[in-house]
Amino acid sequence: MIKKIVGLSFAASATLFAQSDLEQLKTQLAQQQRIIAALQQRLEELETKQSSASAAATANVQAPSSTFDQKSFLPDIALILNGSAVGRNVNNSTYESYFIPGFGEFDPQEESEIPYNKNRGFNFNYAEIAMHSTVGPYFDADAVFHLHPDEFEIEEAYITSRAFPYGLRAKAGKFLSDFGRINPIHQHAWDFTSQPLAYEAIFGAEGLNDAGVQLQWILPTDAYLMAGVEALQGSNDVSFGDIEKNNLYVGYLKTGTDLTDNTTLLGGLSIAHGKNEEGLDTDVYGADLTFKMMLDSYSSLAWQSELLYRDKDTSQGDQDQAGYYTQLVYDYNQNWATGIRYERLYKNLADMPHDLDRTSAMLEYKPFEFSKFRLQYAYDRSKMFGDERKNISEILLDFTIEAGAHGAHAF
Amino acid sequence: MKKILWIFAFITSWTFAQVNVVASYTYLGEITKAIGGDDVNVKVLASPKLDPHFIIPKPSLIPTLSRADMLVANGAGLEIGWLPPLLRNANNPKIAIGSQGFVDASQAVALINKPATVSRAYGDVHPEGNPHFSTDPHNIVPIARMIANKLSNLDPQHHSAYQNRLADFTTKWNAFLTQFDSKMHSCKGKKVVQYHQLYNYLFNRYGIKIAATIEPLPGITPSSKHTMEVIRTMQQQHVHTILQDPYHEKKSASFIASKTGANVKVIPHDVGSIEGTETLKTFYETIANLLCQ
Repeated sequence: MIKKIVGLSFAASATLFAQSDLEQLKTQLAQQQRIIAALQQRLEELETKQSSASAAATANVQAPSSTFDQKSFLPDIALILNGSAVGRNVNNSTYESYFIPGFGEFDPQEESEIPYNKNRGFNFNYAEIAMHSTVGPYFDADAVFHLHPDEFEIEEAYITSRAFPYGLRAKAGKFLSDFGRINPIHQHAWDFTSQPLAYEAIFGAEGLNDAGVQLQWILPTDAYLMAGVEALQGSNDVSFGDIEKNNLYVGYLKTGTDLTDNTTLLGGLSIAHGKNEEGLDTDVYGADLTFKMMLDSYSSLAWQSELLYRDKDTSQGDQDQAGYYTQLVYDYNQNWATGIRYERLYKNLADMPHDLDRTSAMLEYKPFEFSKFRLQYAYDRSKMFGDERKNISEILLDFTIEAGAHGAHAF
Repeated sequence: MKKILWIFAFITSWTFAQVNVVASYTYLGEITKAIGGDDVNVKVLASPKLDPHFIIPKPSLIPTLSRADMLVANGAGLEIGWLPPLLRNANNPKIAIGSQGFVDASQAVALINKPATVSRAYGDVHPEGNPHFSTDPHNIVPIARMIANKLSNLDPQHHSAYQNRLADFTTKWNAFLTQFDSKMHSCKGKKVVQYHQLYNYLFNRYGIKIAATIEPLPGITPSSKHTMEVIRTMQQQHVHTILQDPYHEKKSASFIASKTGANVKVIPHDVGSIEGTETLKTFYETIANLLCQ
């Protein structure tokens, strides 16, 4: 009996054990299957990853042209275009022969030097390419190529120091001198289309633009005070032009201060000392004053005046001549601006007219920051044609486009 | 007497030891002050009342830049129209772009709205992305960290002071953010019209929907055609809020409001741009209050 019970219990426990073994096996199997599935999935993932990586690797192999890619070192490039439509009461061949009495004469042998808006009707004045690049830790390089329809001109090309201490900066090359207020500013950034009479009379159509070196110093004062000196070749033959050796030295002092939060004053004194084509001294003195009132982010009122005085020694004696301009420009908003300018050559040679003047008015429309249309009227009483003095009435509509690198707004 | 002299010498040497920091905008100045404390002397270039794109490069800003040891700029092209000529004229290699003293805050944050193609046909676009990341208060701590690290590098003597102030600032700012987030949560899903793409970072974070901008393209003045489109969109989508920044013309917004019955709210874009926004906290609180009323 007992034997039977033991045997039964044995059998039961055996089946029980066997059954639990089976369960265990089943779960183990399921677990293993899950693990295998997971592993398979991971394997697949890895395979796809590897194949995409190798695809990327082959892609790199297929495009070795980017190895020595230089694109990121391209200089900042801007393209500036300017053209106009002009109406004038003087015909073109007469206009080409104009000169400012006492300051110059028309030489029929030479080609006339009227850089902008020469013709009645349509003018394409220039395409300008401006480039800026950092050359290394020590220098920046700038170049401005001025392209007329039939002339290529290097308007400016210079290097500037980057690492001078004590607020110093040096420049070398061909550049627009920082003499005065408007001289270093390019035509497309002027408030009026034409160059001020005093500049045209004393420095010529190109302004004071020459080969040489410059050193500027920001003084360690609370107010803005900048002093600069330049040594230039002196190739400007309107006032200087001694060709035997470099002859021109320029110095200036500029200062600016805020009268209120929204009102700023900027002033400067300049001197240019050089030798003229007779080898005698020419001194040009300049004084400028700008008063700007900011009405809001987009609206301002600016009053700007400049005076140039020239003392030129010649074999016929000492010649003192002078002129000024004064202008008021109102920026109404981002799109519209208007302004008036009066200018006069108030001091001239004894036998020359002393009432040479010009009045201009302009209205400007900017559809966008980098495009500008300007309507300008000028009444000019400063020109002579042959022996005859003739007043010029001129109405002009011009456009200026600045494409490419973002030109920042100077004050 | 000797003692007084010594103290005097000590004080002067100490004031001279301050790091001169120039910040382009007020909010950057505020962060720098919080991190730099007495070890820095902070000056701000731009007036917060003006359009940050069009700051007038006054000559009076040149001597400030000329003597700076560090320049904190917003970056992402926001200063491109006015800071480069000032920097060029300041003749200061210490803060030249890429130098140790130059901080570009945009490098500390993830920029959004980066255009796929860049052309001026789309207006005044920034190829780097939207530069107005200061409207999202979550971007403040990363910028503060960047400034603290730069200051530590520049002035290693005060390294621990900068890092301690950063830790302190971060704790306080995170506490403020919890509070700010819950406030902003109440206006999730709200639809608004803004003048310029100025508050995109804020809207992105808090789920506020931009129905339209008053200017047709960045930097382009509103046209009557586009204004009519804005009015139509607002009517279709039931938009009741127009956000106006303090510096753009307000005529377009009030015209649109008169046609749609929406409210015009002048929202600050920087610390100190409108009254009651003189600190970083009040600046963001004012935005939240105006937006989520």
